[in-house]
Amino acid sequence: MIKVTINGREVQLDKQVTILEAARRAGIKIPTLCHFEGLEMYGGCRLCLVEVEKMPRLQTSCTLMVTDGMVITTESEQIAAARRGMLEFILTNHPLDCPFCDKAGECELQDLVYLYGGTEGRFTEPKAKHPESNVDPILARNIERCISCTRCVRMCDGVVGASAISMINRGRHTVMEPFSGGKFDCEYCGNCLTVCPVGSILSRLYKETYRPWQVERTVRTVCGHCGVGCSYDLQVRDEAIKRVIPRIGEGLNRGLLCARGRFGYEFVGAKDRLKKPLVRRDGNLVETTWDEALGFIAAKLSEVIKTHGGEAVAGIASVRCTNEDNYVFQKFMRGVVGTNNIDSAARMGFSGAQAYLESLRGQGVSANVIAGLAKSDVIFVAGGDPTMVTPILGLEIRGAAKKGAKIISLDPAPGLEFFNPHKIVPSLFAEGAVLESLLCRAVSARGMTGELPHLEEAIRAAVSAECAGVAAQSGVPDAEIEKASATISGSQSPAFVIGPDIVQRADGNRNLFLLAALSYVTGGRIFLLSGKANEQGAVDMGCLPDTLPGGRPLAIDGFRKRHEDACGMSVPAREGLSLMEMFPAMADGRIKALYVIGENPAFNLPGGNSIKSALEKLDLLVVQDIFLTETAKMADIVLPALSWAEKDGTFTNLERRIQRVRRGVNREGREDWRILCDLAGRMGAAMEYASSEAVMSEIARVSPVHRDLHYSDIEAGAMQWPYHGEPLRGEASTVSLVTASARPTVGSGRFALLVDRPLFQSGTLTRRSKALLKLIPKATVKMNPLDAASLGISGGIVRVSSDAGSVELEAVIDSSVQMGAVKISNHFEGAGVFGLMTKPPVDPVTKAPAFEGCLVAVEPLKGDAKS
Amino acid sequence: MEKVLLANIDNPKSAEIGVYEASGGYDSLRKSLELAPDDIIETVKKANLRGRGGAGFPTGMKWMFASKDPKFPKYLVCNADEGEPGTFKDRPILEKNPHILIEGMAISGHALKAEFGYIYLRGEYPAAKGILEEAIRQAEAKGYIGDNMMGSGRNFKLAVHQGAGAYICGEETALIESLEGKKGHPRIKPPFPVNVGAWGMPTIVNNVETLSNMPFLMRVGPEAYAAIGSKECPGPKLFCVSGHVNKPGVYELPMGVTLREIIYDHCGGIKNGKTLKAVIPGGISTPVLPPDKIDCPMDFVNMPKHGSMLGSGAVIVMDESVCLVKVCLRALKFFEHESCGKCTPCRDGVSWLRQVLARIEGGEGRPGDIELLSEVAGNITGKTFCPLGDGAASVVLNFIKHFRDEFDMHIARKGCPIK
Ligand SMILES: Cc1cc2nc3c(=O)[nH]c(=O)nc-3n(C[C@H](O)[C@H](O)[C@H](O)COP(=O)(O)O)c2cc1C
Ligand code: SF4
Ligand code: SF4
Ligand code: SF4
Ligand code: FES
Repeated sequence: MIKVTINGREVQLDKQVTILEAARRAGIKIPTLCHFEGLEMYGGCRLCLVEVEKMPRLQTSCTLMVTDGMVITTESEQIAAARRGMLEFILTNHPLDCPFCDKAGECELQDLVYLYGGTEGRFTEPKAKHPESNVDPILARNIERCISCTRCVRMCDGVVGASAISMINRGRHTVMEPFSGGKFDCEYCGNCLTVCPVGSILSRLYKETYRPWQVERTVRTVCGHCGVGCSYDLQVRDEAIKRVIPRIGEGLNRGLLCARGRFGYEFVGAKDRLKKPLVRRDGNLVETTWDEALGFIAAKLSEVIKTHGGEAVAGIASVRCTNEDNYVFQKFMRGVVGTNNIDSAARMGFSGAQAYLESLRGQGVSANVIAGLAKSDVIFVAGGDPTMVTPILGLEIRGAAKKGAKIISLDPAPGLEFFNPHKIVPSLFAEGAVLESLLCRAVSARGMTGELPHLEEAIRAAVSAECAGVAAQSGVPDAEIEKASATISGSQSPAFVIGPDIVQRADGNRNLFLLAALSYVTGGRIFLLSGKANEQGAVDMGCLPDTLPGGRPLAIDGFRKRHEDACGMSVPAREGLSLMEMFPAMADGRIKALYVIGENPAFNLPGGNSIKSALEKLDLLVVQDIFLTETAKMADIVLPALSWAEKDGTFTNLERRIQRVRRGVNREGREDWRILCDLAGRMGAAMEYASSEAVMSEIARVSPVHRDLHYSDIEAGAMQWPYHGEPLRGEASTVSLVTASARPTVGSGRFALLVDRPLFQSGTLTRRSKALLKLIPKATVKMNPLDAASLGISGGIVRVSSDAGSVELEAVIDSSVQMGAVKISNHFEGAGVFGLMTKPPVDPVTKAPAFEGCLVAVEPLKGDAKS
Repeated sequence: MEKVLLANIDNPKSAEIGVYEASGGYDSLRKSLELAPDDIIETVKKANLRGRGGAGFPTGMKWMFASKDPKFPKYLVCNADEGEPGTFKDRPILEKNPHILIEGMAISGHALKAEFGYIYLRGEYPAAKGILEEAIRQAEAKGYIGDNMMGSGRNFKLAVHQGAGAYICGEETALIESLEGKKGHPRIKPPFPVNVGAWGMPTIVNNVETLSNMPFLMRVGPEAYAAIGSKECPGPKLFCVSGHVNKPGVYELPMGVTLREIIYDHCGGIKNGKTLKAVIPGGISTPVLPPDKIDCPMDFVNMPKHGSMLGSGAVIVMDESVCLVKVCLRALKFFEHESCGKCTPCRDGVSWLRQVLARIEGGEGRPGDIELLSEVAGNITGKTFCPLGDGAASVVLNFIKHFRDEFDMHIARKGCPIK
């Protein structure tokens, strides 16, 4: 116990902290400028000076640690004079342009000058002038206002790990500058913006559009982009989002955000948002009333059910909608329509992978706290770059690496490049061989505990007696695998981060089995990356063809009966079709009607024209969305829904934390669940809820893991899996493991087509966010420099063609793309990677599509082709 | 006094290992390698060797702190940044007597159980770089340093790292940052480099001259060493004298010699028979002294009692023709240029001081400017992150203290009264 006296008051501390922190705990505020919680100590501004008995000079409280018996004074005439002096110094090198500085009203310097009293301007020499720099598309820089506190640099370097900016020059000329000079050319997380105390770094998204005090509403919510689920505040004025600001130290992101989260909100106010229901008349979609539209759907849907049965209808739920929306949707499909044909885009990898991992290691195996990555000593990353798919989780990995954790990356993860990863890059699609070899070595190094006999039996069957040579076909030398294996075996708490790419393979289930086995043998935790805000929620709400809300298999009568009793509606006993199985069923007429909420299968699913032609065959296609998407354009009826910023509800993130989404913007339109309830009523079923909270109350009754979980509990912090419910602990007795047939061969001018998942774009929503669009304005095809050279390509427009069609795209040479592969994203209209894929095979276990089958040819176009 | 640090200096081949060996070079290292490391540290303590880099910190004590830290590897860094204006005392060692430094570092490395040494060399000493590297190569070839030094089983490797021309990189923590490849900003202390230095490891930073004292100290022993010069602060000391004396240059004299002796006995008095106006005794950061204060003994203990500091031993002598406002302005231009920019008072305050001085010197001074200078300097003093900013403020305060009339006259006559 350390005892110190601050301003005559005794303060007890359990551990050594800075004087600043000790004072804070005692409720005493000391002014600071360069200090910022969570950043490395600096001690440059000299504002936090205090008197410490027996020390001759004033001391900076932000850097000096307390010692037992220390006597500290934080306010005195001497101290006030010193602080006034420091402020006067800063103002000799800072323009007094508060009247037109965006920061005025929330500027720390301004506040401090008010506090200590303005000085009368004894500095009469001219000040340095630097015009505002607006060369960057997102961030404006007014270095004239920079007070050299280095908070931005310490954030960028020390916390984010992007190392994109630095202090340049010396003395009075010291200012922050991006390494690339003008543009920031960085990860655009904007966390530097959060920490800048003055108006030196500003967001161009809202610059000069309002004053901080003109914000009408500040609403606490979570990000609607990826499965991390960062907390932040929406600030709204005139029913428009003015900006997104994080709350320092709060939420799992503790105040950090990524580019998509911070700058990707402009789609909410996009001009082309759907406003009125649309109905197809004479081949065209025309505006109609809600009443007419819902009446039409009710009649048409009832007709299909009557003639063909409920199982002739399928539903696609949304990984971007709330739990409440998705819960009501599956209830509608099961209870009103009478089908289990319900799935979501989580099927693209996440949901099948999770279900399979859970069948091997138990429900909740991937429900691990993201912050726990910081405690891992070895982090094994496979199947995607976490710094791009789930950026804030990526930062956690970087943070662990900084603290000494060893990163092993199977396949390239460019965002971890600066963090000394052990990179294992097998030949294309040969990750399985590496994993098998690692498993073999882990088993012989560690043995097995006997805890999960069914899994151990499968492991024994899967590993060979002799580990050497197992990875021969991967092209990775045994010695390198041995090195990685030694790292993993020596680990106390390894983490396995699994991204979509390793799942979306012909033998995705085998890769997952090997990863599950490796994590089991080494006692590791699993993190399953999720690129969409509520994939986990769609799963937990039972938007699956075989599973009820709360993860209960519907094929088991007992579970189904209990569920029927709890929700008061019946559930068909037969399992439904999974997402990728629905389209062949539409094509051959087994499915006549499709109901889609918040999803765009015509664009977001692989299969090119086969998807579209399947949709064309439908008798009824209903789409609820916020934009007229590719799918909505084909629909019979389109209903305008609300975005995440306009409704209340909950999201469940990839660690299965359930968090509140709150309405920030008021807008005409209806929540998806309300639309569905109205429709149910018209179809003779009673589904009524007063609010999203009431929906949650039902979920809390129906789903065993969400038992008794109400909004008030979530608010009170009961947000972590399994809340206070019970996860399903039954273990599968057999392990389904299906090995893929022969792989396609690349080479001779054919390249494997892979999915590019960049940081700044994630599809339909981000392509309508102007700021993000400036960062990646159009689709590109990325290829390895050697492959490009062999085709004589050094950039420019190329034609990429597959059996499904061809597109002309700008070629980007990128050494992180493996030899033999090319990458295209799925974000831009008419140029999505999935449009180029012929019907991909589906993994028999996870039912996720496998992308490795798609081969494309790439040819340079002569001259300057149309771009 | 027998020359120790500058022995052989007049021999044009003094930098060659053969010449150094001929006068007993590397014998001290051989002898020291037979001693236990802690015994060497004891010897240094007994000899009361103080660091020659400016602050005069007891070397034995610094070594003991580093030696007690259980972390390894430890690094020994020679501070050869020599950036203090007026200072050129390390240069003759670096360029003409490199082996005394190498031998000194090898002995120190053994005492500190450090196997890696760096010489952080001032960027503006390009010739020294080649000379040092050649000398290191020779010493390695002869087996004096490198793996298994002289068959002792001890290793010591040396490398030269050239600075990029920043005065602040002479400050030991900024030096370490720079050595690590970062921008030269001083670090927060504690932890001190002896515990957390280069790459987080215990690091001992000593000046060129300090380390070059080691071969002699180990040869003659602590008693004989302590008998040279001042009792409180003994040993040989290099003084570099510049300005208006008849014989400027580097002088090796015993600690405690007075300023008067240096100027009049060794340097032949003031040039052209003019009168002495002011002396800066230890480099530009040390307080200027008027002529009536030059009887002070030049060592780390006695100088502060006479209102100044020994600093680096760089004596800058100014005669009656010098405009002290101009000198003060010139000094502040230097500090403004060299301020690293980390802390507010130095970054912005020193620049302000320079701007006020510039207007006084330029004949645009205003009544009240001297009070303004004093207040601004007062707001800097004691509040800077490192001594650089404090030093700048103290230059202004001391020039005003001793020569206020000259400042007043500049303001009253709107220009320099001497011209
Ligand atoms: C601004 C500043 C510049 C300095 N420059 C030098 C220098 O050029 N050479 C030097 O030896 N010490 C310099 N020092 C002192 C070093 O920080 C350190 O005290 C010294 O290298 C320790 O060596 P010593 O104990 O042998 O004196 C400087 C200190 C400051 C604050
Ligand atoms: S840009 Fe802002 S945060 Fe960065 S150093 Fe300047 S004032 Fe500080
Ligand atoms: S990491 Fe994901 S949840 Fe967090 S701000 Fe970025 S997109 Fe949003
Ligand atoms: S006093 Fe401050 S600004 Fe000046 S050199 Fe030292 S740390 Fe840098
Ligand atoms: S807050 Fe302590 S020095 Fe800046």
